[in-house]
Amino acid sequence: MSATTAAPAARDWRQILVDRPAVALSGVLVVLYVVTATQAPGMFSFNGVRSTLLLACPLAILAASQTLCMLTGGIDLSTVMTANFAAYVAANQSGQGPLVALGLALCVGLAVGLVNGIGVGVFKVNPLIMTLGMASVLLGVVTVGLVGDGFLSGSTRLLPVLRTVASGTLLGPVPTNLLVWAVVAAALIFGLSRTGLGRAIYAVGDNPVACRLAGIRIWQVLLAVYLLSAVLAALGGLLFSGISGSVGPDQTNAYLLPSVAAAVIGGTSILGGVGGYTGTILGALILTVLNRLLLALDTTEAFRQILYGLIVLALAWVYVRVTGQRGGS
Amino acid sequence: MTATPQAEVHTPLPRPSSRLERFGRRQGWVVGVALLLAALVLWRSSQIPAFGAFEVRGIVAGTMTLALLAMAQSVIVISGGIDLSVGAMMVLVNCIAARLMLDQDLGTVVLVAVLVVVVAMVISGLIGTVIVVSGVPDIVVTLAASFALAGLALVVLDGPGGGTNLRFQELLVGGFDQPWPAILWLTGVLLVVWLPFKRSRLGVATYAVGSDRAAAFLSGVRVGRTRVIAYVMGGFFSGLAGLVTTAFTGSGEPRASIGATATLTSVAAVVLGGVALLGGSGTLLGPVLAAFCLALIPPLMLGLGWDPNYAEVARGIIIIVVVMIGGLLQIPRRSR
Repeated sequence: MSATTAAPAARDWRQILVDRPAVALSGVLVVLYVVTATQAPGMFSFNGVRSTLLLACPLAILAASQTLCMLTGGIDLSTVMTANFAAYVAANQSGQGPLVALGLALCVGLAVGLVNGIGVGVFKVNPLIMTLGMASVLLGVVTVGLVGDGFLSGSTRLLPVLRTVASGTLLGPVPTNLLVWAVVAAALIFGLSRTGLGRAIYAVGDNPVACRLAGIRIWQVLLAVYLLSAVLAALGGLLFSGISGSVGPDQTNAYLLPSVAAAVIGGTSILGGVGGYTGTILGALILTVLNRLLLALDTTEAFRQILYGLIVLALAWVYVRVTGQRGGS
Repeated sequence: MTATPQAEVHTPLPRPSSRLERFGRRQGWVVGVALLLAALVLWRSSQIPAFGAFEVRGIVAGTMTLALLAMAQSVIVISGGIDLSVGAMMVLVNCIAARLMLDQDLGTVVLVAVLVVVVAMVISGLIGTVIVVSGVPDIVVTLAASFALAGLALVVLDGPGGGTNLRFQELLVGGFDQPWPAILWLTGVLLVVWLPFKRSRLGVATYAVGSDRAAAFLSGVRVGRTRVIAYVMGGFFSGLAGLVTTAFTGSGEPRASIGATATLTSVAAVVLGGVALLGGSGTLLGPVLAAFCLALIPPLMLGLGWDPNYAEVARGIIIIVVVMIGGLLQIPRRSR
């Protein structure tokens, strides 16, 4: 909006920011990291870098599912419940060997994604409602499964392989889960920019009517997106359980806002068609460092929460201001 | 030219719709929800041997919070937004009220009640202003706000505690077998606050902004101001919801998950109540009735001898199925 009235020089750097949001976001990340290092010692040690990457990984993977949905103009509010459920199933079934347990956990993701995708794609249910209802269903299923002799009752034991992958160290400051993250990131970045499905995802988010007229089968694109989203959610849940060393029916719930926020800060528009996973990666890193900074400050949990909400809001505001990417009118 | 007799041309005039048709189109969904509620209440009453004032009071007073939150969400959705912080606002108001009302006489308590509702309106108006001024989508702003508000609630009250005046509780939600205060308050709010608002210029502007922002702007509606006022109205209703929570439980509880669950249920009630998420249509009566329907599910399941934990599953499925049916009903209308 204001870009049109600004001086040409100002418009240039704004244009650069619009074209390459990663540049500005990297700047924010570096500044934030340095500020954090002044408050929390050890941020520049191997261990400081490692813990940042380690903690950013599950968030970035949950945010990946959010990014995919948001690119089509949707949102997935069932990610965290899917993550919880998948991690719980894996830990509960770990007696049957890692392959079966991990397979079952991914099946949870596939099943959730299939239902979400059919609802949103075929029956055209509003994504917000569909995934909200799904979160409700999953919460109920987990609760019912846990009480008495439900299907989730019984002992839970974390898979050793998860513990190794999620919290081990590859070399130096590089945690092992970075491997998983790197594979996901490479697949998403390549897939979104170079494959037919990737372009279709952007197109559906940008203008569904034009897509339909151009012969794109929108329901197939949406089905694929929600399937991918739920599988990524399951993966994120598994990695989180490996880091925390335990499973609980609501352990990743606090990640719902950060996962949406990471995508928004990373420049993905919640209205669809704009954004990408590179920005989301930086968004997830920024939020993780921010969390570390708030933990270093000597305040109560309550104030930390207030600050977190306000800073997320401020970052989103600045981003929208600078790039002129406005919602609605 | 004019002399040649023109062939009889039949321009098909649109048939004027009858009063009944118009009523059906506008209020059909609400009537459907009302019938569903009536059926559920009948079912529930057949489950309990003595269905009297005590049970009615339990249902009405227990659901009042949710009904008020559904109203808050509806006003905002009608104006074309969505507020994921209504539940957190309710928790915050509950905590402030419980802290200030502890061991006070009725006069002070009523004063505090008015004050906290005003606080809720101001905060909500602030959220609305941020949305309008910043251009950040509603979902993002209110999601972030829900975090901040939940933190604020923890600052006010760091654990379950606080209290209120017994007389105030009876006035707002009624004694154990007094269903009337709760019923009267709910209908009162609908009749005294919502109906005049809906009929006023502001109300019409709210619907206009929700249905087409650009068209509303071109017809001279002050879009930004109208959207902020919708959020202030939402704050009013969520503030009331917080007060009712305080009166119903007699204490304050700063747990964030209560707010999150309440927010999700309020969105569900809005959708079930026939308010389109796209904005610009629906009324507040539908969501209120829908809130009662949703709240009746757990006791009904208990009555059937099922695990009430299935209620969460049933709620989710009902929401999805109802929206699917709504979507299918829309298809013939669209293609016409």
